[in-house]
Amino acid sequence: MTTQTVPDKLSDPGAYDTVHCDQFGIDHEGKPIADHLTGTGSDAGLKEHDPDNPHKMTLTQEEQDILNGSQGPVMAKVLKTIVMHGELFGAERLADCGGAPHTSLYTGSPWVAPVLEMFEEIADAGLKAFAPYTVNPMPLDLYTVGQDPVKRTMELETYSLQGRLIGVHTRLGAVPLNMWSCACYLPEVGNTAEPGTVVTWAESSAVNYGNSVLGLRINRMATGMEVLCGIAGKVPVFGVLTDEGRKAKWHIDVRLSQEPHWGALGGAIGTKVVEQIPYITGIDQWIGMEDGKPDLVAMGKLKAMGSATASSGAVGLYHVENVTPEAIEHGRNLLVDDYQTYVIDDAEYKRVRDTFENRWKDPNGDPTAVYIGCPHNTYQEMVYWSKKFDQALREKGQEKFAIPVVMAQPPVVRDKLLDEHPILYRDMLRAGAQFTTICTPAFQGLKGMADIDRGVTNSNKARFYSRLRLYGDDDLVQIALTGKVPY
Amino acid sequence: MRKKTFRGRVVLPGKVTGKATVSRHPFNTSGSYMENMFAGRTDAAPCTDASNKELFGKDISGAILCIPTTVGSTMGGMALMGMKAIGVGPQAMLFSKPIDTLAAAGVLMADIWKEQRIVTIDMLGDEFLETVQMGDPITIHEDGTVEIG
Repeated sequence: MTTQTVPDKLSDPGAYDTVHCDQFGIDHEGKPIADHLTGTGSDAGLKEHDPDNPHKMTLTQEEQDILNGSQGPVMAKVLKTIVMHGELFGAERLADCGGAPHTSLYTGSPWVAPVLEMFEEIADAGLKAFAPYTVNPMPLDLYTVGQDPVKRTMELETYSLQGRLIGVHTRLGAVPLNMWSCACYLPEVGNTAEPGTVVTWAESSAVNYGNSVLGLRINRMATGMEVLCGIAGKVPVFGVLTDEGRKAKWHIDVRLSQEPHWGALGGAIGTKVVEQIPYITGIDQWIGMEDGKPDLVAMGKLKAMGSATASSGAVGLYHVENVTPEAIEHGRNLLVDDYQTYVIDDAEYKRVRDTFENRWKDPNGDPTAVYIGCPHNTYQEMVYWSKKFDQALREKGQEKFAIPVVMAQPPVVRDKLLDEHPILYRDMLRAGAQFTTICTPAFQGLKGMADIDRGVTNSNKARFYSRLRLYGDDDLVQIALTGKVPY
Repeated sequence: MRKKTFRGRVVLPGKVTGKATVSRHPFNTSGSYMENMFAGRTDAAPCTDASNKELFGKDISGAILCIPTTVGSTMGGMALMGMKAIGVGPQAMLFSKPIDTLAAAGVLMADIWKEQRIVTIDMLGDEFLETVQMGDPITIHEDGTVEIG
C-alpha cells in the first residue's frame, strides 16, 4: 500500500480538489459560509422529529411491490435508497420523473470506484435510466489543452478511471459524448422539459438554471443519487419540488447604474443568501425576452449569474422579476411574509468585486491563458466571443493571440459554429484559440496546475473554484492580444 | 465525568463505543479527506480542511464524528462512501442538526450498496454539541440514544 504526501495543498482547498463543480461551503477567506445547508438548494426540510414515530412516506402499491422485489433485487435496492433518503427530509411521496436525468458524476478519479461499482451492479442487472441522460463534461481533453505533455500527464494520472466511468454511463443509457456538458439545457444538447416538470439532475449550475429559468422542479442532489432516481424514474417530493419550498426569503434589490458583470452579480447574491431563494428585481432591463422567455443572449447572462449564486453560495433556485416563469406568473407573491432585503448598488457591487483577490502563485507574473466558458458556452456566446476576438485582432493587425484562448463547450455547440461561421472558426483556430470540451474548474484543479498556469476568465464560478482571475470582456480581449493584465 | 444522555433520530442504527471527534464547524466532507481522495492514502485520514481549526491535521480515520451538519461539494456523499470503502471513513456520525442531503446520500449508499455501515444519528440538538468535548468517551445505542461520559 503506497502513501503519498501532498505538500502545499492544505491551505488551498479550491485548487487542490479536482472535482468541485458545486458549492464548496467555504468563503474566500477559507471560512465555512453556513452551517444550515441542506444541500438541496432550498432550506426546506424536516425541522422536528418524533424518535418513536419516524416519518414515513406513502408509497403506491407498485412502489411497494418494487421494494419487495417485483423488479428484482437490484431495483429494490435502488428504490430503497431513494425512499430512505426522501423520508429523512419529510417527503410525503415519490413523483414520477419527466424530462431526462443529468448526472454530475464525470470525474474518473480512483476514489469514485465504489460509486462506479454501484453503477456497474445496476448495469449488470440489465437496468437503464428511464430516458437517455446527459453527463457533465469530460474533465480531460487530450486533443487541445492536453497537447502539452505535462498537462496531458496530469489529466491521465488524475482521471485514471475515466474509461471505466464512460463505460458504465454508456451501459446505463447516457447520450453520446459530443453532448456531455454541464449546460445540458442548451438547445443543441436538448435536455429540457416543460415548466413544472419534476426532473432528476445533479450539477449545481444546471439545477440552478433548470429550476429558475426553465421552471423545472429539481432538488440539488448528492452525486450518485440523481442516477439512482434516473434508474427508478422517481424522486422524493420535498424541498424545491414543493410550492412552499420555492418561496423567496430574500428580495435582492439591484440598483446599478450600468449592466453588471453577471457572474460578479451572482457572486454577491450567493454570498449573501447562501442557500435561500432570492427574488431579484432591477435587472430585467438588461434581459432580452422573446415569446415571453429570456432570449438566447439572455440565456448566457442568466447562466453566468445563476452559476455564481450556486458556487459562491448554494442557490438552487432564483426568481427574476418580469423574467423567470414563476416571477412572471406570481410576481412578488413569491416572497415570504418576513423576507429580508439586500440592496446591490454601485458601491456594494464594487465592494464585492474588490473581494476577488489575486490568487496566482506568482501574483506578479504574466497570464498564461484565457478561459471562456464555465458553465459551457452557448452557441451565441461562441459567436459573440469569436467575433470580438477576431475584430480586435484585425484592428490591431495581429495574426495570433499572445496567449491561448481556451473556449469550453460541448462538441455539438462547437460544430454549430463551424457550420454557421466556418471562416470565423478557421480564423480563431489560426489565431491560437483552443475549442475544448473540458470542465474548466476540474482542469484547473489538477494537481500541480496552479504551479504552471496563471489563467484569466470571464466566469465567476471558475474563479471561485480555482486560482483563475476574473476580468470583464474588453479586458479579456486585451489580455489575449497582449499577454499582459491591465491591473 | 458525569454521564449525559441525548436522543436523536436514528438514520442508521448500531451500537458503537469509542471517543468523540468533535467539530463545531460544519464538516466539509470532501475538503476533509483530500489526502485520501487524491493522494491515495489509506493508512490514516489527516483532516485536510484548513478552515476547520478543530480537526485540521487530526486523524479522523474511523472517527465518531460529532458535528452540526456537513457542507461542501455535492461530491461529499460519494466521498463518504469512498472513504468507508478504503477503510478510513467514519465509524459513526452524530449530527446536532438535521442531516443534510449530501451526508444522507453517502451513508445510505455505503450501507445499502456496499454493506458498510456508518452508524448515523441526527437531530441530537445544539446542547449535544455544546456538551461533547474532543476525546470524550461516547456510547451510541440502537435506539438513537447517545451517552457522553
